[in-house]
Amino acid sequence: MSQPQPSLAPKPWLSSEATPFVRIQKVTKKFGDFTAVDDVSLDIYRGELFCLLGGSGCGKSTLLRMLAGFETPTEGRIIIDGQDMAGIAPYDRPTNMMFQSYALFPHMTVEANVAYGLLREGVRKAEARERVAEMLRMVQLTQFARRKPHQLSGGQRQRVALARALVKQPKLLLLDEPLGALDKKLREETQYELIRIQETLGVTFIIVTHDQEEAMTLSTRIGVMNAGEIVQVGEPPEIYEFPKSRFVADFVGSVNIFPGRVVEDEPDFIRLDSPEMGGTIHVGHGVSCTLNQQMWFAIRPEKITVTRDRPDAEHNVVQGLVEEVLYMGNLTAFRIRLDSGKTIRATRANLSRQEHEPISWDERVWLHWGDTSGVVLAQ
Amino acid sequence: MKRGIFLPLVTVLGFVFLYAPILSLIVFSFNESRLVTVWGGFSTRWYGQLFRDPQILNAAWISLRVAVVSASIAVVLGTLVAFVLMRFGRFRSRALLTGMATAPLVMPEVITGLSLLLLFVSMEQLLGWPAGRGETTIIIAHITFCLAYVAVVVQSRLAGMDQSVEEAAMDLGARPVRVFFDITLPIIAPALVAGWLLAFTLSLDDLVIASFVTGPGASTLPMVIFSKVRLGVSPDVNALATIIIGIVALGVGIAMWQMRRAIRRDRE
Repeated sequence: MSQPQPSLAPKPWLSSEATPFVRIQKVTKKFGDFTAVDDVSLDIYRGELFCLLGGSGCGKSTLLRMLAGFETPTEGRIIIDGQDMAGIAPYDRPTNMMFQSYALFPHMTVEANVAYGLLREGVRKAEARERVAEMLRMVQLTQFARRKPHQLSGGQRQRVALARALVKQPKLLLLDEPLGALDKKLREETQYELIRIQETLGVTFIIVTHDQEEAMTLSTRIGVMNAGEIVQVGEPPEIYEFPKSRFVADFVGSVNIFPGRVVEDEPDFIRLDSPEMGGTIHVGHGVSCTLNQQMWFAIRPEKITVTRDRPDAEHNVVQGLVEEVLYMGNLTAFRIRLDSGKTIRATRANLSRQEHEPISWDERVWLHWGDTSGVVLAQ
Repeated sequence: MKRGIFLPLVTVLGFVFLYAPILSLIVFSFNESRLVTVWGGFSTRWYGQLFRDPQILNAAWISLRVAVVSASIAVVLGTLVAFVLMRFGRFRSRALLTGMATAPLVMPEVITGLSLLLLFVSMEQLLGWPAGRGETTIIIAHITFCLAYVAVVVQSRLAGMDQSVEEAAMDLGARPVRVFFDITLPIIAPALVAGWLLAFTLSLDDLVIASFVTGPGASTLPMVIFSKVRLGVSPDVNALATIIIGIVALGVGIAMWQMRRAIRRDRE
């Protein structure tokens, strides 16, 4: 499946000259004793589709609400398009928000919902009607214009909410779990839709989500949050393939993590001794570490090959017993118990439609991975 | 499960107990005979006589005015109270205010009436207002206890309302006052209607508090009925009571219908 990626070349976050569109500077938000957002600094560039990714209660929604103006930072500054947002009320900000609950006005028709923001702006009725009609055409709701929100399905409501937030052509669109309530199929469709809209209108998007798959598909960059802090910012492949911590590795995608002690530290390879793995792990590139340092080795399930026969390789070969086989259509997932007792997850793409004697329960198999397939983490 | 005779029987008896007196009152309001307990054939003469009795018409007019004015003011004030309790987050003495706003619901009417009377008398001595007692003092008294009912009804509606709808309006450029009139008010409107009708019927029903705080020349309908009954029940009182029951039943019915419609809409 080719992933739709917003065409945003050159990537402004790589250039030192580009001016960020949104600057979040050392922002902290406390509710009483509880610190919801802890010293977050973040630069987001014009035209980006930035995802704030994190579990519930990690502070991502609070950060979004501070951008919208519903919460005031306890400390720090938020600058949008060169303007300091301190003391600026939500109704005066160049942002619009799409709420998790959609927050449609229940007593107004779809049309009136979408037109509301334009009329508050002082747009003339005739023009507003035109722009609303155009917007509804874009989200394919023209024939529902005169319905009330309670007469719509979840997916339609979500599109009304999106249209309502977009019709004012805000400089910055904030989306709080925009696809949360949709089923998988509709969610995928809407993801493409969001990217298409983002490309056509050139609006900057900040999306809050707990769904790592959604973040991967949609975003130009992802900011992973944990306990009120941004733990890593990067492009989706960077986050996935080069996580900086066990938290990120584990939160984004699934991963096997083995603790290990550095027993050999050379410029072009290191070796970790991992009793949990039942041997040593060979990493084929240099890692900044010291001898005997405690490290963690993280490897994703799809980077492990599962075979019946011992692979012809020098390093990174272990044996285990198949404990579980999950057929998932496009791939098969194995849970394999190593001789050390630890369970490891591995997946395998189902390349052919019918496999001759597929690997099954209670079989002893060999596991192998390339010496640059995993990541060595210091924390 | 086999349904015995017991449950339906108890239900029927219960309703008979509740409504037989009212039903007999309604039936006897159409009685031709002057004697209240003897059936003398169907007639609407007492209704006719009622509408020719200046004392009763005057009292009905006063009651209606008092009920409309006090219900309207109680809705405005009660809504404000509900808003403060629901929307201003946690502030000092919030619990105290909640308790105090709803205390009149359980306060004995005699005490409310007496304390209001004392207040009015001392206010007149100190401030010169309200000068004497009459319709104005009844209205003020009714506002105080109706306010509590309205506050409770509106508060429950606000509690069930998704606050992000208000935030969404603000996000789209509406200032807080605008948000209130465009979004909040239409959403809580059923509660306001229900609260108003509740206050209206409570005010229309009240005898005790009105008796305390009224003055010469301002007798409400319940007061007139009560004084008439003390001299013996006359058939025209039955007719009057029937009309009042009709109005009250209609008011409560509409209030309940409004609330249920709002709840049903929320569920969807």
